[in-house]
Amino acid sequence: MKSFIVTRSQINSLAAELLSKNWSIFTQSEDRKRFKQCESESEISVDGNGKPSDVSFKELFFPKSETLFYFNRDNEELTLLDPAEPGTKTVIFGAKPCDAASVPVLSKVFNWDYNDEFFNKRVENTIVISIACSYSDESCFCTSVGLSPFSEIGSDLFLIPTEKDSFILKIVSEKGEKFINEFPFMIQKEFEGTFDLENQKASFPKEKFDFASVKEWLGKNFKDEIWNEVGELCLGCAQCAYVCPTCHCFDIVDENCGVSCGRRVKNWDSCQFGLFTKHASGHNPREDQSRRYRQRVNHKFNYYKQRFDEILCTGCGRCTRGCPVSIDIAQVLEKIQCKQSAAIV
Amino acid sequence: MNIYKPELVEIKEIIDETPDIKTFRLKFKDEKLQNNFSFKAGQFAEYSVFGEGECTFCIASSPTRPEFLECSFKLAGKVTKAMRKLKIGDTMGLRGPYGNSFPLEEMKGKNVVFIAGGIGLAPVRCIIWNVLDLRSEFKDITIIYGARSVSDLVYKYEIQDWQNMPGVKTVVTVDPGGETSDWKGEIGFVPSIVEKVAPKNENTIAIICGPPIMIKYTFPVMEKLGFSEDSIITTLENRMKCGLGKCGRCNIGSVYVCKDGPVFTYHQLKELPDEF
Ligand code: SF4
Ligand code: SF4
Ligand code: FES
Repeated sequence: MKSFIVTRSQINSLAAELLSKNWSIFTQSEDRKRFKQCESESEISVDGNGKPSDVSFKELFFPKSETLFYFNRDNEELTLLDPAEPGTKTVIFGAKPCDAASVPVLSKVFNWDYNDEFFNKRVENTIVISIACSYSDESCFCTSVGLSPFSEIGSDLFLIPTEKDSFILKIVSEKGEKFINEFPFMIQKEFEGTFDLENQKASFPKEKFDFASVKEWLGKNFKDEIWNEVGELCLGCAQCAYVCPTCHCFDIVDENCGVSCGRRVKNWDSCQFGLFTKHASGHNPREDQSRRYRQRVNHKFNYYKQRFDEILCTGCGRCTRGCPVSIDIAQVLEKIQCKQSAAIV
Repeated sequence: MNIYKPELVEIKEIIDETPDIKTFRLKFKDEKLQNNFSFKAGQFAEYSVFGEGECTFCIASSPTRPEFLECSFKLAGKVTKAMRKLKIGDTMGLRGPYGNSFPLEEMKGKNVVFIAGGIGLAPVRCIIWNVLDLRSEFKDITIIYGARSVSDLVYKYEIQDWQNMPGVKTVVTVDPGGETSDWKGEIGFVPSIVEKVAPKNENTIAIICGPPIMIKYTFPVMEKLGFSEDSIITTLENRMKCGLGKCGRCNIGSVYVCKDGPVFTYHQLKELPDEF
């Protein structure tokens, strides 16, 4: 697909026009805590150099708490009412490649048999404009999970900063193409050169582990000392799951508003909580934190790959940056890779 | 389509099975749904009490008896507590049927052994009636059922029918100390009664369901009796929420119990990580 040269002021004009047409616009907040909704085009952030927000943009597709339906008891007659469809057209400006990549990964579980239309409608209504990433810190490991600071997976449009206030705008998806065609001023100047990705590779985060070896080890070693080592440290607070762009476990609960009405909601949940798998009988298959941490790692780097042919992790490093006891998931995986190498020798 | 929105059902009858187990006979409020609803023995559903939440139970009635949909539940948490307070005529929600089913076709032309403990008889009862209603397609049938005490036996009113059927051997047992003075059945734990009854393994499929501890001790007995790992079938009662393969609650390894199960062979269970 085609690429174009755009300037920062053109991007601002795009945002202004979208706002005037009642689109919702989201971008990373200045404090880099989360994605926030913008009221003016001046707020949008297209900054490849910035740190990934503490919380991923997952909640724009899979809200923390989502109404599934309302129930109402009128004269003893019970009725169920669907919530309003998430209809607002949305553009996300300046997503990180490690945010964007989570959308197709999540889409697999939300559509492998039954289709979760709540998720799908939001994806359908949203244009993801990502920006090549030039930030990296000791927690990042996108290159170990098959991604890179230039991955376009999950993006509709992709920005590569060239010189000051100027970008290459790549059209990535058909949805992105259709969208941008509505704004002719964005596609005036076609970029006909080639962008030299090879040149950039030296500055990518270094590969910390070999995914294939990690997966192989996980597939063969369910019981291992390593889970006790991490399990002893881990608090089971589930911070890691809440900030993660790919964690998708949820709970379904009822909330009452008065005696005769209420709603059923889908709330984020996590396999790191002790109650997650506890049976009504009191039996708990994952009764301690070492088993729960083992589940987190296996689900991401073994089971999901087996089931959906995707790694349930984009290497964004959020879980590591936020962990109150400094558990570094990439370090755990490095150790696993060492175990696997030792096993081969 | 909103996959999380249940259909409305009405409670038509309530049966007090034991001090803490009840059975509901349910019918869809929408007649068309009632007529078109189909499921297979072994499948489960999500039942809701609006304002309290959802709970997972197997469908306890047989697909051959479509007049009602039945579920049996034991008092265990918030939703079952609310369910116990419901009356005939009350409305509940139902989503389903979900999951796989017992291999009915594979069982045809074979002997079938049913082994159940406690409320584990609910899913087994569904397939028992399914088999009995197609009686001529199966060979000898053995039913072994046990509960803690006489008052903990469920479907007592039907066990009689099974006992009176030709070609059906029905053995009922209670744990030692759980018998009454007029108890005529066996006394002993299910695994030891299975050993005593010693069903033949040739051309036989065994369906086993009950509390984890019963299952754990019954498997080795079955192996001793010469049953192959593939001829022993059970259903898992993992914690579930969505039933749709989304919420991540029921996972054992890469398996989704709500989609790939709840019915598994002993062989399949052995391949799973030890986490259920
Ligand atoms: S954030 Fe850290 S302590 Fe909390 S559950 Fe995750 S790994 Fe454990
Ligand atoms: S597991 Fe950690 S590094 Fe991987 S996607 Fe989730 S938050 Fe990012
Ligand atoms: S019960 Fe939700 S994934 Fe199986």
